[in-house]
Amino acid sequence: MALDAFQKRRERQTLLLLLPALIPLVILTIYPALYAIYLSMTNEALTGLAAAKPRFVGAANYFRLFSDGRFWNALFVTFVFVVGSAIIGQFVLGFISAVALRRKVIGSPIFGAAILLPNAAPEVVAGFMWISMLAGGDHATLSKIMMALGLPWTDWLQTFPLFMVVMVNTWRGIGTAMILLTAGLSAVPSEVYEAARMDGANPRQIFTRITLPLMAPTIFLYMLISTVSTISVFGLVYALTRGGPGNKTEVISVYIYNQSFTAFQIGYGAAGAVVALLVSLTLGIAYVRSLKVEV
Amino acid sequence: MNRFVAGGLAAIAMSLLAGTAHAQTLRIALHGQAGIDAFTPTAQRIEETLGVDVEIVEYPAPDKDYMTKLLTELAAGNGPDLFSIPSAAEVADMVAAGYLAPVGAELAAWEPYKDFVDVARDLAVSPDGETYVMPYILGIQQIYFRRDLLEKAGISTEQPKSWADLLARAKEIKEKTGAYGLLFPAGTSWGGGAFDEGFSHLLIGSSAPQIVTEDGKFDLSSKGVLDVFQFYKDLIDADLMPVDPLLGPEPWVIPKYEMFPSGELAATTCGSWCYIFDWGRESRNPIPNVTEVVGTWADPGQESGEFVLANLGAPWAVNAKSANLELAKKALLETGSIENQIETATRIGNIPSSNAVQSDPRFQALTELVPIQAAANNGTYLKQATGMSVVSEGVARATEALLRKETDAAGAQQILIDHVRQTLGDEALK
Amino acid sequence: MAGVPLKRSGLYTAMAYLTLIVISIFCLLPFVWMALASVDSNAKLFLKWPDSITFDHYIKVFAEENGVRWFANSLFTVLSATILVMIISGLGGYALSRSKAWWKQPFLYAILLIRVLPSTALLVPLYKILLTANNGMGNMLRPLVGENYRSFMQIFGFIDGYLGLIVVLATGQLPLALWIMKVFFDGVPKDYEEAAILDGATLVQRIRRVLIPLALPGLAAAGLFTFMSAWGDFLLPLILLSSPELQTLPIGLFRAFLRVNEIDYGLLAALATIYLIPAVIAFSFARRFLVQTFSGGVKG
Repeated sequence: MALDAFQKRRERQTLLLLLPALIPLVILTIYPALYAIYLSMTNEALTGLAAAKPRFVGAANYFRLFSDGRFWNALFVTFVFVVGSAIIGQFVLGFISAVALRRKVIGSPIFGAAILLPNAAPEVVAGFMWISMLAGGDHATLSKIMMALGLPWTDWLQTFPLFMVVMVNTWRGIGTAMILLTAGLSAVPSEVYEAARMDGANPRQIFTRITLPLMAPTIFLYMLISTVSTISVFGLVYALTRGGPGNKTEVISVYIYNQSFTAFQIGYGAAGAVVALLVSLTLGIAYVRSLKVEV
Repeated sequence: MNRFVAGGLAAIAMSLLAGTAHAQTLRIALHGQAGIDAFTPTAQRIEETLGVDVEIVEYPAPDKDYMTKLLTELAAGNGPDLFSIPSAAEVADMVAAGYLAPVGAELAAWEPYKDFVDVARDLAVSPDGETYVMPYILGIQQIYFRRDLLEKAGISTEQPKSWADLLARAKEIKEKTGAYGLLFPAGTSWGGGAFDEGFSHLLIGSSAPQIVTEDGKFDLSSKGVLDVFQFYKDLIDADLMPVDPLLGPEPWVIPKYEMFPSGELAATTCGSWCYIFDWGRESRNPIPNVTEVVGTWADPGQESGEFVLANLGAPWAVNAKSANLELAKKALLETGSIENQIETATRIGNIPSSNAVQSDPRFQALTELVPIQAAANNGTYLKQATGMSVVSEGVARATEALLRKETDAAGAQQILIDHVRQTLGDEALK
Repeated sequence: MAGVPLKRSGLYTAMAYLTLIVISIFCLLPFVWMALASVDSNAKLFLKWPDSITFDHYIKVFAEENGVRWFANSLFTVLSATILVMIISGLGGYALSRSKAWWKQPFLYAILLIRVLPSTALLVPLYKILLTANNGMGNMLRPLVGENYRSFMQIFGFIDGYLGLIVVLATGQLPLALWIMKVFFDGVPKDYEEAAILDGATLVQRIRRVLIPLALPGLAAAGLFTFMSAWGDFLLPLILLSSPELQTLPIGLFRAFLRVNEIDYGLLAALATIYLIPAVIAFSFARRFLVQTFSGGVKG
C-alpha cells in the first residue's frame, strides 16, 4: 500500500513537470487547431463580403474540397513529394552516407560537414540558391554543368518540376537522416558484429540480419519524423515554384496557403488543413501499427 | 500573497481608467523601400501640420505578403490608421469587408481634388458609389518600341490602327530584324502584371471592353475575352514573343532589362516608369538617348481606336476602425498633396493624378513623364468589382497555359472561368 | 580479421569514398554560387566567375541596411526561444519518459502530428489569441511604465514585441524537442534516480543533482534542433513584427527582394551567407551530441 501511494505521488510529480510544456501547447497550438476546425465550417475570409459577415456553412467547404480537382492534385503531389524525398531520397542517401562514414575514411569530418551543410540552410536561402541552380534554361547552373558534360539541358523547373522539388528537399534532408542513422548504427554493440564475423557472416548478411533489425526503432522514429515534417514543408516549395507551373508542385501546405492567403478564403483553406491533419493522423497510426514499436 | 493579488487588481483597474489617455500617434503602413523613401517628407509634413507623431510601420515584404499581413491585422481589428494598398484590384473587396473608411465627403470638400484628372477620380469611386481611397498616382501603361531598330529595318513606326495591324507589325519585325516583335506580360510568375500590364490593355479595345456587369458580376464568357486570348495565342504560336523567360522567376528581368536594351526584343508593354528606371537614367542597363530611341504607341483597339488605360497606383486608405479616424482622414489628404505626387513620381516613375503638377518645375524636370501625365486626361479604365483580384489570378493561370502551349484560346477562357467559379462561386459569374 | 579478406575491404572503402564525394558535391554545389555572388561586384542570379572580388556587399549589409540590428534581433529571439524550449522540454521529456499514464502515447503522437498543420493554417487564430494577450499585457503595463510604454511593449508585447515572437517560436519547436528528450530519457537508466529517491531526495534535488547532468547531451540536441528550425522561420516574424527596430534577418533578406528595378544579387547573397553562418556554427558545435542522443544517450 505504501508503495502504491509512493508511485501515485511520483506520477503526480512527473505530470507537474509536464505542465510548462502543456500550457503553451494548449494555448498556441491545440486551441488554434480546434479553432481552425471551427473555421473550416464557416465561409470566413480575410477580405470581401464574407470578412464582414462570416456565415456558418456546415460541411459545404468539405463538399467543395472533395469536388475540387486541384485539392486531389495537391494530395497526390504531396504523396509523391513525401515518398520521393523523405522516404526514398533522404533515407537512402542518408543511410549510404552513414554506412560509408563508418569506414575509416580520411577526411570523414569534412564529408560529414558537407553533407550536413544543406540542413543548416534556412528554407528561404535554400529556395533562393536552388532557383539559381535550376531556373532560366541555358543560364541555370545545372544546365551549364550538363553542357560541360556534353549532356542535354532543359528548363528544369518547367520540364521536371515535381522531380526537381523532390530533389531539392532530398538535398536538404540527407544530413538529418545521416545523423539519425549513424546514431542507430553506433547503437548496435560492436560485440555483436564481432561475434557475427567470428561465425563467418559476410558483410551483406551482417547488414540484413543484424544491422537492419537492430536499427528498426531508429528507422521507425526517423520515418515518422521525416514523413510528418515533410508533409508540412512550405517555405522551400513556395520559394522555388509557388506551386507551379500549373499546379504541378502544389503540395498540400502550399494549396492551403494559396487558398487562405492568395484567395484570402480562410474557411476553405482551414478545411484543407483539417483534411491534411486527418490524413497524417491516419498515416501516423498506420506506422505505429505496422511496425509494432512501443513508445 | 493577498497583497500581491490586490496590487494586480488595482493595476488592472487603473489601466482600464487610464487606457485612452496617451499621446496621439498615427500608425501608417506602406510597402517597398522606394515607397517609404518617397513618403518620408510627407510623413514630416503630417507631423508638422497635424501635430501628431507618425509611426511608419514597415511591412518589408513583397506585395502579396504585405497584403496578407495588412489584411490579417485589419481582420483582427489591429490595423494601422492609414495605409497604402499595393494592388488597386483589392480595394473593392476591402470595401466589402468594411475595412476602409468612406472619405468621399472629405475629398469633395478638398480644393486640390478638383485638379485631379477624371480617370483618377472615377477609378477611386467604389462599386457602391462612395469613395474610399486617395487616387494620388496613376499607373499608365503603353507599348514601347525600339524606334531605331524599326527605322533601320524600314518598318513603319506609326501608331498601329488595330490588333491586326499590331500583329502584322510584330511579324514584320521578326522577319526583317530577327528580334522578337512584341511582348505582353503573361503567366503566373508575373503576378498581377499578366492582367494589369497585359490582358487589360487588349480587353479595353475589344468588343467587350468591360468584364464587370451593372450588378457587379463578371462576364468572362464574352467574345471579347476569347479574342484577347486568341491574340496571345497568335503571338505565342508565331514565336513573336519570348516565352521561356516568362515561365521562370522574375519574368520581366530578361526581356525588359536584357533583351529590350540589346535589341533582341523590339516592342513591349511597359509602365511610365520604364523611361526612367528600366532603360533610363536610373537603370543599370540604360539605353542611351532613351526618349529618342524608344517610342511609344497607345493600345490599339481590336478594329480601331486608341486607348490610354490607367490604373490606380497604390492608393491610400483610412482604417475604418482607426482610433484616430478624423486625424487619419486629414493625413490622407496630405498623401494626395502635389508634393507627395511629385516625390512618388520621382522615386517610382508613376504618373501624378493632379494636373497642377504640370506647372511645377520639379515635375517639369521629369521630362519623360510630362507628356504621359497630359495624356492621362484622355485616360480610360476598367470598372472594378469585388473579386477583381481573383479574375487577375485567373488570367495569369490562363495565359500561363497558353505560354506552355497546353491549350487554345477557348481553353484559356475556360481556365479563367473555372478559376473564378471555383474561388468565388457561381453567383459571381454572369 | 579472418572473416573479410583485405581486398574486399579495400573495394568497400573505395566505394565509400566515391559515394561520399558524389553526395558531398551534390550538397555543396548550390553554396558555391552564393559564396561567389556575395563577393562579385556584378553578381547575377546565375553562376559566373566574379568580375572582380569585392566585400562591398557585406559592408553594405552592415553599414546601409541595419544588418547589425537584424542579426542581433534574430540571435536574441531565437536563442531565447531555444533556452525556453530546452528548459520546458527537459522537464516535460523526463515526465513523459517516466510516466505510465494511459494518455501518454496518444499525447506524444498528437503533438507530433499537429505539426503537419502548416503554420499558415493556424495563423489567423494564433493572431487573434496573441492580440488578446497583447492587449491584456498593454493594459497591465501602461499604468506601470507610463511614458516608456511603447518601448516596454516592444519587449513584452505579444504582437510586434520580442516576447510574443519568442513564445510562438518556442511553442512551434516544442513537440519535436519533447520527443527528443523523451526518447533520450528512455535511454537513461532509472537506477540513479531510484537511488536518489531512496535516499530521500526531493523532486527538485532529483532534477538538479541527477537529471540535469545526465540530460546535457539530450538537451544539446533538442536545443540544436530548436535553434536550426526557429532560425529558419520566416512566416512568423513576418506576420508578428512590424517595427523596424524588431526586424530579423530573414525579413531583411526579403527586403532585399524589394528594390525598385532589379534585385541586387550580390547584396542578397551576402545577406544569405550571413544568415547561414550561425546555423552552420550551431550544427558543427553540437553534431556529436546529436549522434549521442540518437544512439540512446549515456551508456550505463
